[in-house]
Amino acid sequence: MNTIRNFCIIAHIDHGKSTIADCLLGATGTVSQREAKSQLLDDMDLERERGITIKSHAIQMNYKAKDGITYTLNLIDTPGHVDFSYEVSRSLAACEGAVLVVDAAQGVEAQTISNLYLAIDAGLEIIPVLNKIDLPSAMVDVVKGQVLDLIGCKDEDILLASAKANLGINELLEAIVNKIPPPKGDPQAPLQALVFDSVFDAYRGAVAYIRIFNGTLKPNDKLRFFFNNKEIEAEEVGVLGLKKIKRNELSAGNVGYLICGVKDVHDTKVGDTITHTHGGAEHPLPGYKDVKPMVYSGLYPTNSDEFEDLRDALEKFRLNDSALIYQPETSLALGFGFRCGFLGLLHMEIVQERLFREFNQSIITTLPNVEYIVYKKNGEKIIVDNPATMPVVGDIEYVEEPFVKAQIVTPSEYVGNIMKLAVDKRGIYKNTTYIDPTRADIQYEFPLAEIIFDFYDKLKSTTRGYASFDYEYIGYQEADLVKLDILLNSEPVDALSMIVHRSKSYDWGRKVCSKLKDLIPRQLFEINIQAAIGTKVISKAVVKALRKNVLAKCYGGDISRKRKLLEKQKEGKKRMKQVGNVEIPQEAFLAVLQIDE
Amino acid sequence: MKESALYIHIPFCEHKCIYCDFYSIITKDNIGAFLSALKKEIAFYSSSCKDDLIFTTIFFGGGTPSLMEPQYISEILHALRNNFNISPNAEISLETNPGMVDSDKLKNFRATGINRISVGIQSFDEADLKFLTRIHDKEKAINTIMQAKSAGFENINLDLIFNLPGQTKEKWLSNLEAAIKLPVTHISAYSLILESGTILNKMVLDGKVKIQDEDYDADLYEQTIDFLTADGFMQYEVSNFAKPGFECKHNLAYWEYKNYIGFGPSAHSFLYGKRWKNFTSLKKYISEIETAGQAVASSEILTEEQKIEEYVMLALRSSGLNVAEFITLFGESHFKRNQDYFNTLIKANYIKKNGALLSLTPKGYAVCDEILGNIT
Repeated sequence: MNTIRNFCIIAHIDHGKSTIADCLLGATGTVSQREAKSQLLDDMDLERERGITIKSHAIQMNYKAKDGITYTLNLIDTPGHVDFSYEVSRSLAACEGAVLVVDAAQGVEAQTISNLYLAIDAGLEIIPVLNKIDLPSAMVDVVKGQVLDLIGCKDEDILLASAKANLGINELLEAIVNKIPPPKGDPQAPLQALVFDSVFDAYRGAVAYIRIFNGTLKPNDKLRFFFNNKEIEAEEVGVLGLKKIKRNELSAGNVGYLICGVKDVHDTKVGDTITHTHGGAEHPLPGYKDVKPMVYSGLYPTNSDEFEDLRDALEKFRLNDSALIYQPETSLALGFGFRCGFLGLLHMEIVQERLFREFNQSIITTLPNVEYIVYKKNGEKIIVDNPATMPVVGDIEYVEEPFVKAQIVTPSEYVGNIMKLAVDKRGIYKNTTYIDPTRADIQYEFPLAEIIFDFYDKLKSTTRGYASFDYEYIGYQEADLVKLDILLNSEPVDALSMIVHRSKSYDWGRKVCSKLKDLIPRQLFEINIQAAIGTKVISKAVVKALRKNVLAKCYGGDISRKRKLLEKQKEGKKRMKQVGNVEIPQEAFLAVLQIDE
Repeated sequence: MKESALYIHIPFCEHKCIYCDFYSIITKDNIGAFLSALKKEIAFYSSSCKDDLIFTTIFFGGGTPSLMEPQYISEILHALRNNFNISPNAEISLETNPGMVDSDKLKNFRATGINRISVGIQSFDEADLKFLTRIHDKEKAINTIMQAKSAGFENINLDLIFNLPGQTKEKWLSNLEAAIKLPVTHISAYSLILESGTILNKMVLDGKVKIQDEDYDADLYEQTIDFLTADGFMQYEVSNFAKPGFECKHNLAYWEYKNYIGFGPSAHSFLYGKRWKNFTSLKKYISEIETAGQAVASSEILTEEQKIEEYVMLALRSSGLNVAEFITLFGESHFKRNQDYFNTLIKANYIKKNGALLSLTPKGYAVCDEILGNIT
């Protein structure tokens, strides 16, 4: 056990976490040059494309250090996005140390800070590394200063590296061996294994990635999950190289995998503890939490005939994503679909994108919303995750919405812009600290609903891409929220309803009306578009009746061409959604997602 | 006997107009070879018609058929009569452009058996004519009609185009007024169509010409219908108006879902549920005819659904959908699923019901394609 080192790499996005990991794998001979695909740990296409790690993975390396001893290094990869912060916390819990990678040209960013704090909270030994020091724009001394202020370490503790140029990698390996403490734990004690991730394998079912804190795990052992209470039998255990490597046992301090005949990842919940059925541990490891979705949206098949296909796709998808929840719902406008809950906006985008790419599903999504708590006058308290189910105004005593604590790191010249944006987004100012004279760390509280929409894009554009942003949930607060309905010829279009702060309702209503006026084609009958709160209409627009749509010439005998034009037109109409006598093109639903607040 | 139609495409023009997408070429070197191929093609199809067809219309379209010597037209008609069962009272139309024919030529055309003449006037306004790159002027336009009348033509059509760039309602009205003063029995009034591949279309795409909007087009169309019907021209199709009894039988054959055979490059045919189209290039047409006797570029056999779709489309565009006939041909269920929609349209005055006939009102004609798109 003294030769095991369990660690993770934490960094702001694009600071080089994955390339550093690749270097470590290369330097320890875990991966030959031939096998080295850039960013090995991110094995989904989507992840590689977006340069982000969505699901955490682990890999074991063997390293012969300068002291002559061969060490077992378990690198546990962590998701880099706030949507997956719980998974991050469990990955951190499986480690004793963390390599903090900071881009020497970019400096300390919001995720550097938030991830560092998580790592410090988890009691990890921090190894700071400045990456990309060979870039002409690298500001080694400045960024060193920022890191010193942040961690309070010594100047010589900070390693200098360049993953691209393979600089400083051996020094990093030595630091991992020398500075990170070996795991503690007793191989003879009752078994306590932490599930820090699990993935779905089409042939084997769920594969749990585990860190053993105490005890020893062998194939055929009778086991149970603490929180799930499910009893299982270990079919196979092993460690994770590039592929799974079977072992006869895994014991305290080590990291590996467990296959146990569980069909999908819902029974292998991240954060759960596994122990033996007989002679097992009395207590689970601390920190288990049932993750709850924060953002909800309706997902509907573009073509209403494809509801069953979408259901199948979601079912398959869920095998590998325990965070996604969904249940069928019906919309008057969009037909049969599902209300889905996501960990955050990125998670939502990933799900949509993967449904499209891997399951070939074409879907319409409704405006994302958060979960509201509605206190009714009759004393009832209900949870609303779909604007369509909001009680009528007269029944509502008050409404609460979720808030987040946000951290924005920015060059100080943009502080003014950010404050202006924060006011627009109903932000509550908390505090500003300066990382160094040119970089500010501003703290705000925001309603979650305000930042799931277009906050990040706005922040980037108002700071020319320099500001970074991270947030954590802090709970519910009362707010003056109203449900805004969109009506077409007096028929409400449920899929366009939204819950919005009263101060923003007029502006929003006006924008939606005007957008719809542009997007809904003229039809045989005049279309009145209205935005309303309850029965009060706050904005309206009119699409005038169609007056001319006929091809003037139909002779020369070319009837086929005319018929094909008509068939094309009918195909187009088929894709429209019908509310009352109004046909709504799908672009209208999508455009609402892009309305600039 | 089923009444059927024959079409001859004459692919020659003096000049190519910027808005036209019909197939034509401006060299006349191949007229001899064309005529010889055309005659072979006519002979080729002779055997493919059963004895149940009687051809009641012949239409010379183009291109500019009046560029042809009357002698050639006579030869073609002769070939048709030798190979097909042609009604003695057949309507035989020829398209002509003003200024390209004189009195003598018109008389000679009349002598060949042509009994209906269609004159592509498009506008009586000099500026419009210039814009459209037509090669005639107002005076020639009027003269051609008058000469046709004195040559013995009793059935004369003139074509007009509206919604031209910059065309005011007043200017369009004066076009209509000029038209009805002439001894014409039929007026085709088309809203300008931007056909892809035409010079005009490119000018619009490049922003050099601005097309007036849908509402303006609708106003002009409404004005057209009101004006012509008040003068005794009955609207019997989206763009066609005729004095009673002078409807173009040839075009009605297309719209009434009758059989027709087209000869010449780019001509279309519809025979016993099969549609085909000839090669467009004259050279290719000639070489195919020489080797194979026919020059079919593509063909399709219509499915039942396609037949229904075409039938409804053509009927509504023209004189109306005869529900009884439709049900006899295609069964009741196809009609029933649209009954509610038709009732809505009747209520909103897009369609009028006269016994078994559902026909578009003027307001309905204007949005015909929208209505067709909603019929399932």
